[in-house]
Amino acid sequence: MKISKTLIIIFLAASFIGFLDAAYLTIQHYLGVVPPCAITGGCATVLTSAYQKIFGIQVALLGAIYYLALFLLTIAYLTSGRKALIFLAALATPIGFIASLWFVCLQLFVIKAICFYCMISALTSTTLFVVGIMIIINYRKPMLTKTAAQNNITK
Amino acid sequence: MNNYESHRQEKLAKEHIARKKRFIYQIALWLSIIVGIGLIVGGMIYFVSRQNPALINSSATIESALAPDDWVKGNKDAKTVLIEYSDFQCPACAFYYPLLKKISEEFGDNLAIVYRHFPLPNHQGAKPMAYAAEAAGKQGKFWEMHDMIFDNQSKWVAQSQSKIKDIAVEYAKSLELNIEQFEKDFGSKEIEQKVEGHYRDGIKAGINSTPTFFLNGQMLQSPRNYDELRNIIIQAIDENF
Repeated sequence: MKISKTLIIIFLAASFIGFLDAAYLTIQHYLGVVPPCAITGGCATVLTSAYQKIFGIQVALLGAIYYLALFLLTIAYLTSGRKALIFLAALATPIGFIASLWFVCLQLFVIKAICFYCMISALTSTTLFVVGIMIIINYRKPMLTKTAAQNNITK
Repeated sequence: MNNYESHRQEKLAKEHIARKKRFIYQIALWLSIIVGIGLIVGGMIYFVSRQNPALINSSATIESALAPDDWVKGNKDAKTVLIEYSDFQCPACAFYYPLLKKISEEFGDNLAIVYRHFPLPNHQGAKPMAYAAEAAGKQGKFWEMHDMIFDNQSKWVAQSQSKIKDIAVEYAKSLELNIEQFEKDFGSKEIEQKVEGHYRDGIKAGINSTPTFFLNGQMLQSPRNYDELRNIIIQAIDENF
């Protein structure tokens, strides 16, 4: 059974948008550009908060690496047709989803400011998670039927 | 048999060519992906780091004459005036604070730097700290309090509004101010109205973020670094001579 093309294209697009978004924030940080504080609240408060780093590494940089890895795995799957590659990418999506959930909670309840770029990232990682689960189900189905058939034979 | 053999070899050769083609295709694809991503990242770096060509936003202006109750660093009568609308709780303002200090040291009497309040509504500590700076100013120590508030921003920023006043009083004590007077001024209508007035003037001038700078009355699109700010001030000073 083939994994749906639409799912793969959504997966590819979401990881690419996520990468652009996270790379932009990473570059801004390392070039020392400080976003101004807007009347509507926003990025400066979030991006300069104590939560912008994990183990001393920029969260945006980790995000960029994560999205890029998913993007490359998807391309590798498309060119080689090896399902294990897209399965691996799909298995990684809960990590991004949980991280995003955590950061949205931080923004809402602790930092009390919303950052537009962080919200885009939350959106892309949620999309990746949903599509990832669908890919896993898609991938598992033929395997399950195969083992069921084998079980029948041994019986 | 011979015929079969040659057929088989031909088939093998074809397969070999096909495999070679696939290999070249793969390499070309991955190379173009790597180059593509490199170009995108490089483009973003260029976009973020380029010097701002239109630093002056000539459509947004403010009265460049100083008010008698303005806090001025440098020379009050300088021909070049840099007005900053700032918020004590804003991390970006804290980022510009050492830059402005350096600017004021570099330009000395050729420049007047003015601090005005623009406490953003989503910063609960911005207004109390503005009152604290003004109250310290009543005893001649506005800039000392201003520095103290920015130096310690990360320490008080997460505190509740009632706690922030206590912290401000602590700062006043360490600046050896008259605390009774300080607390009286902190809660005074006069100071509240002054801060409110700055905010209203800022809104009228089209400010929607902090820090916002006006150089001789013209709004600057936030300069990205020290050199950008410095160059535009040099330009303005040259024009005034």
